Amino acid sequence: MNKRLSRLLISIFTILFLAACGNQDQSADGAGDNKEPAGDPVEGGTLTVAYPSEPDTLDWMATGATPTRDIAWHIFEPLLALDNDYQVQPMIAEDFTVSDDETLYTITLRDDVNFHDGSTVTVEDVIASLDRWRTISSVGRESDRFIKSVTAIDDKTIEIQLSEVYNAFLSDMAAPKNALMIIPAEIAEEAGEQPLTPEQLIGTGPYQFDNWDRGSEIVLTKFEDYTAREEADLGGLTGEKVAYFDQLDFQIVKDPQVAINGIKTDLYDYALSIPNDLYEVVETDPTIDPVSYINGYSTITPDKSEPPFDDIKVREALHLALDKEAIAEATYGNSDFYSFDGALFDPEQTLLYSEEGTENYLNHDPEQAKELLEESDYNGESLKIMHSNDSETYKRISQVMKQQLEEVGFTIELVPLEWATYLEQWSDPANWDMVVVGWSTRFSPNELGMLVNDTNSSGWYDSERWRGLIDDWAVASDDEERLDILSEMNQTVWEELPFIKVANETRLDIKGEQVQLKETWVGPRFWGAWKGE
Amino acid sequence: MLQYTIRRLISIIPVMLVVSIIVFMIVHLTPGNPAYLILGEDSSQEAVQQLEEQLGLNQPIVVQFFDWVINVFKGDLGESVYSSEPVLSIILDRIGPTFSVMLISMIFTLVIAIPVAIFVVWKRQTALDPLFISASLLGASIPEFWFAMLLVLGLGVSIPIFPVAGYIPMAEGVLPWLHHLILPSFVLATVEIGLISRMLRDGMLEAVNQDYTKTARAKGIKESAVLMKHVFANALIPTTTVIGVTIAGLLGGTVIIETIFTIPGIGQLLIDSIHRRDYPVIQGVVLFIAVIYVVINLLVDLLYGLLDPRIRYD
Repeated sequence: MNKRLSRLLISIFTILFLAACGNQDQSADGAGDNKEPAGDPVEGGTLTVAYPSEPDTLDWMATGATPTRDIAWHIFEPLLALDNDYQVQPMIAEDFTVSDDETLYTITLRDDVNFHDGSTVTVEDVIASLDRWRTISSVGRESDRFIKSVTAIDDKTIEIQLSEVYNAFLSDMAAPKNALMIIPAEIAEEAGEQPLTPEQLIGTGPYQFDNWDRGSEIVLTKFEDYTAREEADLGGLTGEKVAYFDQLDFQIVKDPQVAINGIKTDLYDYALSIPNDLYEVVETDPTIDPVSYINGYSTITPDKSEPPFDDIKVREALHLALDKEAIAEATYGNSDFYSFDGALFDPEQTLLYSEEGTENYLNHDPEQAKELLEESDYNGESLKIMHSNDSETYKRISQVMKQQLEEVGFTIELVPLEWATYLEQWSDPANWDMVVVGWSTRFSPNELGMLVNDTNSSGWYDSERWRGLIDDWAVASDDEERLDILSEMNQTVWEELPFIKVANETRLDIKGEQVQLKETWVGPRFWGAWKGE
Repeated sequence: MLQYTIRRLISIIPVMLVVSIIVFMIVHLTPGNPAYLILGEDSSQEAVQQLEEQLGLNQPIVVQFFDWVINVFKGDLGESVYSSEPVLSIILDRIGPTFSVMLISMIFTLVIAIPVAIFVVWKRQTALDPLFISASLLGASIPEFWFAMLLVLGLGVSIPIFPVAGYIPMAEGVLPWLHHLILPSFVLATVEIGLISRMLRDGMLEAVNQDYTKTARAKGIKESAVLMKHVFANALIPTTTVIGVTIAGLLGGTVIIETIFTIPGIGQLLIDSIHRRDYPVIQGVVLFIAVIYVVINLLVDLLYGLLDPRIRYD
């Protein structure tokens, strides 16, 4: 409450102040505009990043948490990685081949890739990392079910034999979440299922771990003996990575207003996750550049294990009662921060994106919703919408949808909860009938948490059809077949309505005007970035 | 005196026990648990149960409580659920910034509040007094977070004299340390200045017309000496009580100030741990704050004896 009020006051104050200074540049381009780097790269210096939440660990293999990922991908590199177009490319690997029967994967390693401790990557390191990934990574555990054996053929080659065809294997190995990062064998064995301790943070990335002052900052320094790849145009998490800065200093700054003030006064160079409400403040300030990128979407998930939403008719009524355009407008305000798309993946994920099957997405028909409700067994019992009140976004979506749902005859009760409480309450269907929550960009259908059958995050979704599609996905042999499956997945979601997508969300970061960034892809990475004079 | 001190120190133990029971209960009865937070939104039930077992959260709450209390008496506050660092060392890491802010704001408070109050009492017949009353009321009632934001905008952003946020340990230079502490400490001091100067003024005005002051004046002592020796000295006792309470209160105030100025102190640690349900850390920090509270109160009581020779501890 204090925070909101203070933000409001500050915003008013700042706007008045800026208005008084004469508001020259109102024609500022949309938030989606990320300027191309200008001029020649400048070497050296420190990049100070204001990061809004402290990671629990920097072990990118152990957790799928975003704060871990955003920092750890400077330190560690996976065996295979996604490029700018979300294609699987070699990273630590030199190359990989898949046998004709699609069960034998042969991966060769690059020569003399240096670890931060001075040693070089060997086949043993890769196998030990792979073993650890298979036990502790949620993605790795999926793959583990299909892995029959891993053998070192020579000191540069490993072979992975699968028990049956599993074509998601490559994208699992390249997933930037619970990643298959390569660490020295002795560290992998020593750490086992425990997250890596700060002393064990030895990777191969362009930056190495230096210091972690809990609650305050995480410092990475340039790794002088970094073994770079040569492809300059791959982007994403692979290809050539050049560290221009000598040091990356991630400071934990929780209040976005502090981050904005810090950018204005050159205390910070880059700040992540600024609430959209502050966009006006950011946009009108010539010393701050907004940076934005799609980052998943907001969803409404009904609890399908109990009445009334176990009945598809009531879910249909829910879907038709919701005017997603009105919800998004009321929630995100500025149209730069949302887009309407009923697909399961982001449009930029060319190999995962299919528009087909999403025709029902924007359907809105309150009259028909009323009729459907009347036909069903629902008799006006009070239904609980649970959401986390840490996020203004989900609070607003809940409020607008309450209004829309009550218009067609639902009785709605809002249950706002603090995040930790929310997570716990989520696990029991008795606590809620609908949840409003956002999901960050995923990289494979296996990772769509809101659709994993019989879990609370999917609202106890239980569908033969969906499980069948997931099985098909595992054995699909080419891109075309995969696209067909993706279309079929969209279709299934919009027919069975396990969850209702509201809109794609855009994340807003800000940077000082001198900071030049190569690309933002999923989240910012600071190799290839530099700071102008 | 020594006996009194020892008696008071022993009485800390039951206080701590009560505090620890209350904290433990509140913390554990709050919904939410770290296992869900660590594993994130798409965790499986089995994984959550496994982690709860590993963290010992599946045991009955009474067993957990006694385990914890027994360890506390052995001097072991437990380990953070997240970083596995001992709670005591986490607290010691974070105490520097908090004490720094408290120290500087206490200096601000005393250096401003005492002279101002004396001056106002000296000029008590003028229009200064009503002006002072309004100002001290304003100081005591100004919302800290708002004042902080205002100062940051004014003296951090518009006229960049002070850094808008951050903390630099004293070991890296006394001047940068001080430079980063001035804004947060001043904000924290504002309320205390309002309270203490007002308290001191009231106390002094009460003493100004007492018989002993009149006698002093009748003896021909200069007004300034009367004020300092007789009036000020007598008003110090109630003021000391307030200062004691204030120092302890500063610990609470730092929670807000540390967030606004991103100072990695005890207050931020407490808030973070609550959000993360890092039970051992929450319990450790609250216990630690309680100890400080009790010790400061003890020191204040002992100080009375020094300020007023009539007070004896038997």
